[in-house]
Amino acid sequence: MRVEQVDFVSVPTRDSARAVAWYRDVLGLPVSEFTEGEVETPNVTLSFWNPEADGEPFQPNAAGIALRVEDVAAAVEEVRANGAEVIGIHDSGVCHMGFVKDPDGNVLILHRRYKPRG
Amino acid sequence: MTIEVERADFIGVPVQDLKRADEFYGKTLGLRRNQNSGERWVEYELGNVTLALVSPEAMGPDFEARGHQMPIALRVPDVEEARRKLEAEGVEFLHETIDSGVCHIANFADPDGNTLQLHRRYAPYRDGSLP
Repeated sequence: MRVEQVDFVSVPTRDSARAVAWYRDVLGLPVSEFTEGEVETPNVTLSFWNPEADGEPFQPNAAGIALRVEDVAAAVEEVRANGAEVIGIHDSGVCHMGFVKDPDGNVLILHRRYKPRG
Repeated sequence: MTIEVERADFIGVPVQDLKRADEFYGKTLGLRRNQNSGERWVEYELGNVTLALVSPEAMGPDFEARGHQMPIALRVPDVEEARRKLEAEGVEFLHETIDSGVCHIANFADPDGNTLQLHRRYAPYRDGSLP
């Protein structure tokens, strides 16, 4: 089969309006023009979904969505100043990863690769 | 004050068995492995965003992959056709294909229980454009 691209990534939440406001106000991501409960990163849509509204248990995403920022340490401090939980910053040897949590406990990785590829 | 997000670099997909997952994403789904991939960390390019397999090889032996429940919507030309091909490879779908009124949706899981979705929007967006 042929996958053309990723249309959206669903992000579990217990409160879609709260999630949209946080991603808009803390991460600065624009709210979707087309669909309620979605925000846009420059290259992929994040679509909030409340599993409990569909009778399914809520489980925060632990594996992370990596968002590219210019300066990981500065971005982590800004997110912390906005009240978010910060797990820590990891240097993988090729990139910096700032692990933070959104209000539902989903892991986000503020990410910057510093080593050339290849 | 907000941070400036330039793009989504990757979506992490937790897996317990990296080789099995590599086989599934590379062979069964036919995605393209990129040059960052090695023995501990494997990435697939999907055109607009990267999927990164997060495994004990990268995170340490205590890492427990709990399959995520947030569908990653993979755009395919035809959901039914793609579904038939995956079912022929033994992939089980979680429900009948859904017609949401604007798109077709069929959810399935990878071998670690991560939810993935075959997705095609057929209705135009408000500005008249189509995916």
